[in-house]
Amino acid sequence: MGYLRPYRVQLWGSLVFAWAAMGMTVLIPWLVGQAVNAIRAHEKPGLLPLALAIVGASILRLGLTVVRRLVAGKVSLAVEFDLRQQFYAHLQKLDLGFFDGQQTGQLMSRATVDLSAIRFFLGYGLIFITQNLLTIVLAGAVMIAINPLLALIALIPAPFVVYTASRYNKVSRPALQEVQQRIAELTAEAEENVSGIRIVKAFAREEHQLHRFQRAVSRVFEQSIYSTRLAATFSPLIGLLPQIGIALILLVGGREVINGSLSLGNFTAFYTYLVMLAGPMRMLGVAMGMAQRAIASGNRMFEIIDREPAIQSPPRAPALPAGGGEVRLQGVSLSYAGSAPALSDVDLHVEAGRTVALVGPSGAGKTSLVGLIARLYDPTEGTVLVDGADIRQVDVGSLRAEVAFVADDSFLFTANIAENIAYARQDASREEIEAAARRAQADGFIQDFPDGYETRVGERGLTLSGGQRQRVAIARALLADPRILILDDATSSVDATTEEAIKSGLGEVMAGRTTFIIAHRLSTVSLADEVVVIDGGRIVDRGSHKELLEGCGFYREIAEHGLADSVFLQRDLEGREEMARL
Amino acid sequence: MSSSEREREAAASDNKLRNVFLLFAALWRLVRGEDQRGRKVRWMIGLLRPYRGRIALMFVALLIETAAGLAPPYLAGQAIDAGIETGNLSALDLTVVAFVVAALLYAVGTYAETYLVGWVGTRALQDLRERLFAHIQSMSIGFFTRRSPGVLISRMTNDVEALNQLVTDGVVTMFSSTLTLVGVIVIMLVLDVQLALVTFVTLPLLAITSVIFRIVSAGTYRATRERIAAVTSYLQETLSGVRVVRSFGQEPRHEEVMTDLNEQNRAVNMKTVYLNASYFPAVELLAAIGTAVILVYGGSQAIDNTIKIGVIVAFVGYLTTFFEPIQQLSQLYTTYQQGMAALDKIFDLLDTKPDMVDAPGAIDPGTLEGEIELDGVWFSYSEDPEPGEGEWALEGVDLHVPPGQTLALVGSTGAGKSTFAKLVARFYDPQKGTVLVDGHDLRGVQQRALRRQLGIVPQEGFLFSGSVRENVAFGRPEASLEEIEAAVATVGATEFVAALPEGIETEVGERGVQLSAGQRQLVAFARALLAEPRILILDEATSNVDVRTEKTIEKGLERLLQGRTAIVIAHRLSTIRRAGKIVVLEGGRIAEQGTHDELIAAGGHYARLYGAWADSSAA
Repeated sequence: MGYLRPYRVQLWGSLVFAWAAMGMTVLIPWLVGQAVNAIRAHEKPGLLPLALAIVGASILRLGLTVVRRLVAGKVSLAVEFDLRQQFYAHLQKLDLGFFDGQQTGQLMSRATVDLSAIRFFLGYGLIFITQNLLTIVLAGAVMIAINPLLALIALIPAPFVVYTASRYNKVSRPALQEVQQRIAELTAEAEENVSGIRIVKAFAREEHQLHRFQRAVSRVFEQSIYSTRLAATFSPLIGLLPQIGIALILLVGGREVINGSLSLGNFTAFYTYLVMLAGPMRMLGVAMGMAQRAIASGNRMFEIIDREPAIQSPPRAPALPAGGGEVRLQGVSLSYAGSAPALSDVDLHVEAGRTVALVGPSGAGKTSLVGLIARLYDPTEGTVLVDGADIRQVDVGSLRAEVAFVADDSFLFTANIAENIAYARQDASREEIEAAARRAQADGFIQDFPDGYETRVGERGLTLSGGQRQRVAIARALLADPRILILDDATSSVDATTEEAIKSGLGEVMAGRTTFIIAHRLSTVSLADEVVVIDGGRIVDRGSHKELLEGCGFYREIAEHGLADSVFLQRDLEGREEMARL
Repeated sequence: MSSSEREREAAASDNKLRNVFLLFAALWRLVRGEDQRGRKVRWMIGLLRPYRGRIALMFVALLIETAAGLAPPYLAGQAIDAGIETGNLSALDLTVVAFVVAALLYAVGTYAETYLVGWVGTRALQDLRERLFAHIQSMSIGFFTRRSPGVLISRMTNDVEALNQLVTDGVVTMFSSTLTLVGVIVIMLVLDVQLALVTFVTLPLLAITSVIFRIVSAGTYRATRERIAAVTSYLQETLSGVRVVRSFGQEPRHEEVMTDLNEQNRAVNMKTVYLNASYFPAVELLAAIGTAVILVYGGSQAIDNTIKIGVIVAFVGYLTTFFEPIQQLSQLYTTYQQGMAALDKIFDLLDTKPDMVDAPGAIDPGTLEGEIELDGVWFSYSEDPEPGEGEWALEGVDLHVPPGQTLALVGSTGAGKSTFAKLVARFYDPQKGTVLVDGHDLRGVQQRALRRQLGIVPQEGFLFSGSVRENVAFGRPEASLEEIEAAVATVGATEFVAALPEGIETEVGERGVQLSAGQRQLVAFARALLAEPRILILDEATSNVDVRTEKTIEKGLERLLQGRTAIVIAHRLSTIRRAGKIVVLEGGRIAEQGTHDELIAAGGHYARLYGAWADSSAA
């Protein structure tokens, strides 16, 4: 409701206009009744003024309605705009921990479905409710003024219509949403089949898949029929009720006209009113359904908007002090909400400019550890210091500008390659972008694309291979020129030749900055000055590759099996091929 | 406004009107079968044939509904003229009874019509979806690499929905609106020709206003959908990439873009507000003018006693009834266009014939020994029957694999390893040469008979949503639980499966996302094992799995390879070393072949590589 405050003038204005327009609407049937009376009285000259009055009233109504619609439309769009802006801005502030616990789809539905429910209610629903309520009240008042008993009889169906319509709105909504949900399931089923077609064919299981699909199709069918049946039941009922009111008027009112207690004109006015009221009665019900939905949606939106961002810079926080990227973790523990600790009591000091490989089984806490350095999460206990400053005391923006990630999923945005590389530094020149791409061994394949650096990638663009994406991500990180570079799983999907090339490039890149590598291969480990072995959220051992091979049984096991020998052979083959080509 | 501007404006509105003529012209061509779409429409009608009983009922219901919907204003007029004006109470009561009956009939008709239309529409589309699905499945693998999956899926979902709109909304609106309109016109003419003609004056005005509004707003509504889709997909993208956004601290920039998109969305929605604000009140005004005309003209006639007063009341009532169908009809062209576009796309797909059907007289080879032979095989993915230099994926490959042997394929990306495997599974046919299994040319073997005896383990270990058990039993759904558990145990997956929340009944999620890569791999092993294939084709995973899983996978693999012919696209040295034969592929040709020891002894490329690797890992 607070969102309406800036627009209260327009809102009241639009209400006033709505009321005035409704007054005109209510006036017209009365004029029609008067005209019938004039006809009855054989007063030909009286007809034209009445007809002109009808036209006049409706022109006035036209003006009022146009203004009302424009104002209301503007307000509702403005409210939607404001809400979406605030929601989005708030999402940008919330901590990653929040996103870990949320499904993207859920957040999306807040931003679209819930938001438009609120918008429709604020924009139209409120107007609908007042307007329709007003029409009913005004028309009721006129009818009562003409003939109280008849008015009472005529209005009997009104509450039933409103109730039935709002009830229909309430039950049909979830039913329709369930249809959509099941269509989504069907789409997922089709999608899975198309992507897994090789497996289907390989096992000659086409018929089985068809049966599965048929099941999904039937589920859509059943739910559609259910929701059709709701519509088929409710909408004739909603249509029938006002007709009964009209029949009562014909029956009772007709008798009164015959015995002279009601003029034919007033009788006609009654009839016209009831024909006219069928719409508002139904709409009132619909609008009340809307209101219920909007309240539920509002609650869900505000759950998010009211949530305090967990990671914020303290007020007037200084920038990260200058330095070479020294990192110190003191007694750091981290647990995500409701799960076992990801890190327990970790002490780690990495001098500026060093390269550290983090090695350990999946789930050991490697990714959590590097996430702490950029303050993507705050530790539950302990302190993280970068260049001597507690990172909770400095400006988050200045910290993150000095830490660059190359994550294993290498997310790229829908934009061209040059823009993706320049993501962190939009002012970068073309030369700088290409230089970064060359250092990340990405220049070669980018030049091979028909549009070169202008090739669009991401959701609606060209699909890059995992290795290509990673190289673009490395270039992006390099261009950011950070003090601290974090390579998370970064070479897992690059083929061996390229890995070799990246490796040689990385040596140069790592010079002058602190680098953390989450390593899965011996070849990457060899880049590091030092290896830190992590298991179960604790640092098990640290030292050089050689020292650890001799002194740490756990590391030896990892090195033998986990850091696979596999790809080595392939790489060497490819290397030879390259030689042959030269 | 200059004269040229005025001309341009006139031409534009002329253009819009032309669309309406186009609709009718298109319908006319359809009826006469001159449009090549005629075939498609007849086919679509064929889809509805099984439900013709219900469709007939639906039309009856529609007729009742429309007729009963037309009665009330006339009956109200009758109540006045025959009952009230003459003081005839029984006539009044009779009319009221008729009124109530009409209202009830209308309600029943609406119920039956809504239900039947919904039923037939969704049912016919269900059939269409299944047909499309079966058709898509019958296509060869090559088809799937040429078409984007998104497009194929959209054929089965969105396009079918658009067609649904055309079949249900389109047909029903066309029928009932036309009927209502004609009915109203006829009733008015019967009641009073002169008054009817005078009333019709408003009709062309309304029709033109409505049509123009629909055409203009169709574009605007499309624009609003596009704008909100842009907002949604931007939101989606920044949410999926939230980690990247955060770690590079680029939030303000995304907020700016979002503001921009949000503003565009608002602007285009504002246009619809303008449109609605001008159209709907205008229609109300037209209705009021119509009422005034009826009252003045009809009123003076009533005073002259040439017309009854009830007729005037009936006319005022009909005025609203006849405004609605015109508005609805004006909406039809968009539905028609969208539906037809969808129909074209669906037909484009259905007209694509499956390209790898079994040859007439293809044989079922019975249980295979598993002997594989490639004889001078050349293959290219190019659709050109005479591929040029450099387009060949395999160039003249000759190879013999005796039954039961494990063949390890080694080579760099693009050397032809997976192509080799795909030809053995007959996902493709070679352009030159033959692939033989147990001495049968694969072109003369029933595809399903061959594939039932193949086990394929893809690199990514693709699983389908469903439980672990269902996935393991994928190739042999009749397998008993004991057999399934035995397969799981053989590949060494029992431990991890037991640790899952619901054991073997745990849902693996879409594409198996609930499991780790290593776990998916093990389930894929068990799946292949249970199918008891005579020939196993395995693309060894290169993805990183943790130490413990890696060991299990190595053991599972060993068990899987026992007792059958296997083609392994190998990445692990342990697998390669154990293979009965190693084939080193290079640029689509066989560079070297032999066992590990033979190749080492031969001192060729493989040997040098192995030596280099041994040195590096010792370092």
